[in-house]
Amino acid sequence: MPRLPRADWYDLTRDMNWDFSYVTEEDVFPELLSNGFGVPKQDWWTWDEPYKITYAEYVHNQAGKDAGLFTVNNVVGRSKIFENLEPGWMAATLAHYGAIAVGEYQAGIGEARMARFGRAASWRNMATYGCLDETRHGQLQTYFPYQALNKEPRLDWAHKAYHTNEWGMIAARHLFDDMFTANDAVSMAIQLTFTFETGFTNLQFLGMAADAMKVGDIDFGALISSIQTDEARHAQQGEPTLKILVAAGKKDVAQNLFDRMFWRAWKVFALLTGLSMDYYTPLEHRTHSFKEFMEEFINTQFIDQFRDFGLEAPWYWDQLLNEMNWVHHAYHLGVYYWRPTVWWNPVAGTLPEERAWLEEKYPGWNDSFGKYWDVMGENVRAGHPELTLPETFPVVCNSCQIPLCTPAGYAAGYLSSPLPLLLDLDGRRYTFCSEPCKWVFEQAPGQFKGHLSIIDRFLGGVIQPPTIPGALAYMGLSPEECGQDGTNYAWAHASVPVAGGVGR
Amino acid sequence: MAVSQRRPHRTWSLLGDVKKRPSAYDVTAAKFNYHFRRDPAPFEMDPQAPFNLFYLANREGSPFNVEDWEGFRDPAKLTYADYVTLQHERETYVDLLTDHHEAAESAADLDPAWVATLRDLFVPLRFPLHVLQMTGLYVGQMAPTAFVINCANFQAADELRRIQRIAYTTKVVANAHGDDLAATAAARDPWENGEAWQPLRRVLEQLLAVRDWGEAFVALNLAVKPVVDALVNGRLSELAAQNGDEYLSLLMAEFQLDSARSRDWTAALVRYAVAQDPAMRDVVQGWLSTWQPRADAAVEGLAPLFAAAAQPLPAATVTAAALAERAALLDAAGL
Repeated sequence: MPRLPRADWYDLTRDMNWDFSYVTEEDVFPELLSNGFGVPKQDWWTWDEPYKITYAEYVHNQAGKDAGLFTVNNVVGRSKIFENLEPGWMAATLAHYGAIAVGEYQAGIGEARMARFGRAASWRNMATYGCLDETRHGQLQTYFPYQALNKEPRLDWAHKAYHTNEWGMIAARHLFDDMFTANDAVSMAIQLTFTFETGFTNLQFLGMAADAMKVGDIDFGALISSIQTDEARHAQQGEPTLKILVAAGKKDVAQNLFDRMFWRAWKVFALLTGLSMDYYTPLEHRTHSFKEFMEEFINTQFIDQFRDFGLEAPWYWDQLLNEMNWVHHAYHLGVYYWRPTVWWNPVAGTLPEERAWLEEKYPGWNDSFGKYWDVMGENVRAGHPELTLPETFPVVCNSCQIPLCTPAGYAAGYLSSPLPLLLDLDGRRYTFCSEPCKWVFEQAPGQFKGHLSIIDRFLGGVIQPPTIPGALAYMGLSPEECGQDGTNYAWAHASVPVAGGVGR
Repeated sequence: MAVSQRRPHRTWSLLGDVKKRPSAYDVTAAKFNYHFRRDPAPFEMDPQAPFNLFYLANREGSPFNVEDWEGFRDPAKLTYADYVTLQHERETYVDLLTDHHEAAESAADLDPAWVATLRDLFVPLRFPLHVLQMTGLYVGQMAPTAFVINCANFQAADELRRIQRIAYTTKVVANAHGDDLAATAAARDPWENGEAWQPLRRVLEQLLAVRDWGEAFVALNLAVKPVVDALVNGRLSELAAQNGDEYLSLLMAEFQLDSARSRDWTAALVRYAVAQDPAMRDVVQGWLSTWQPRADAAVEGLAPLFAAAAQPLPAATVTAAALAERAALLDAAGL
């Protein structure tokens, strides 16, 4: 290997900052693409990445990682592992691939934005690796499901989902476009790399990788744990950006950027990971509840890191802690009930022993959310599964784009009112699921106010015919693709619910 | 486990009824860029939000547009895995080359006159090459299809590669011939103030101000980068060889592989666009008429530095060679 250690020469790869003579600073770094928030140019030039890597190290490492992964994929593809995955786990992985695969490729556009419009050469270099990483993640997370497409046609959604107007995908795009594809480089460093990747992605990927290995899904486990090693590196673009903002007296800017995206990420995370962890992952393989995971990894470790920079927990912290008790249970009920509107087959996850686990992890679950499942179970046992299916649509939040679940939160005793929050602006009425969602909208109305939620489209005549089949077609769901009960109602035919908790 | 009963697709449903199963390259890029020409706006936000308007103006609204970009293919057909595997092999070669010359203490033997040429011509290179990296990634974030995005992003990563090897070599030469060569000022001062560098700095700063994706692609890949590559890889390699610097000669020649890949997809993209719509030839030519003279001035600015070496290359030869390489590219592109 070359003699000089990296530290001897690395600075010469990252000092390419200079004063422009032939164009203006604004020409090179326009505010739309790179909001400097008034921090002096030379301050940005001090941007110092905590994790250093050379191009040679990068390609040597990555080539090795990919060679290993493709070997696993090849071996697993010739086995019966996929066919033997449990239905709940299949639901979790299908949801993951649809919501994440092409979205990760799009994060490459965000990384490319930082690699072009980041305000220091050192930062632009790190983002160049990040751009390559996200290309990798988009390609791997489509290639792997593609290999199993002949075994499970629903894996088509790993590729198709972002082209559709399926409601969950509208919510995903609405989040990710705000976070990276349509965000400026500086805000993105705080909102994508620090808030989302350091906080939430870490959790989704590490948690799911561990679960995948336990359920025997070696392919998926190897895939996402390998991806996480890249995320852990390029997520570190947030910290130096945050340090520069704080040092320049822009703590309020950083706090605002963080608060807005942390809440947005929480909502989609509760929908995707909340259901996976507490309902879809087979009971015997669960190590934490979603709430415990949130408390440990996000609310303790991540927020401690955040406080190290002199920032505070978001103003809505009490609402977050409150929602952690109930909102994903409500989402799960909604997704199950409106299951024709999703591309995976939701499992109920409410066998007696599963209900006992839920009661233990969320005391009072049986008396609140369990009651809905009691009614649905009775309908199924009475030979009327159609009564567990929707005839109307819910109200959707104009911020997070997820159906409002305030009545369920109220009924479970967590909210003081079942009513949504409203905002009248420029002659239009907007509806929100929560105070923070309304606040997020109000922080950047120009970004959001002309957007139509799926219900706005339904009521406004965009979706024709305005019926459930019409809406399903609008969402890109063929009758064969519409989600069905993942266990053919086995949960409903099991014995009646048990009260109290049993440790597993 | 009960899997869905629907008839399995031969490939992704969005790729239609294909006769032959597409390659891994195809299925990990085709139609990934779902927001291009999306209705009512590219991004899932207010259709009038500034970012939607920016992309509508500079991507969808670019004069460089054809009905279907998804049919374009990179001649090298590189996936990410292919790219890192290829470059892992090339970097292994460069590591070995470096080992060999470090064992031979080649840097210590360099003629001081050649070191002076390196100071003037080689050390500042990381600044302009970084602009090639930046603008490559601009094309990458704005291009209409993943088949182009990937090419542009890999090209930008290749610039990072070249810069890092230049930085390493700069440090090695500095250790043997004077630490100040490794100071930022040794590169930035000539870049900001050296007369020879100003035409190049001018065109590259102007390139940083371009917003239209098609113009950025044409200016970078057809006007500026081909001549910069011709100087940096080709002529500098030749100059190093005749001044006794075998290591630098082989190093810079190595980067010709990356540049050739860039030229291949560039020519292929232009040919594809013109085949789709012959009017694209004039669109490209229009931009070239602006950017070629600027790039030519950059070549003419730098050529005297080659002529000032102890064993020189005449400035006129350097200029002619760079322009000839670009002419060959334009010819390959059917322009």
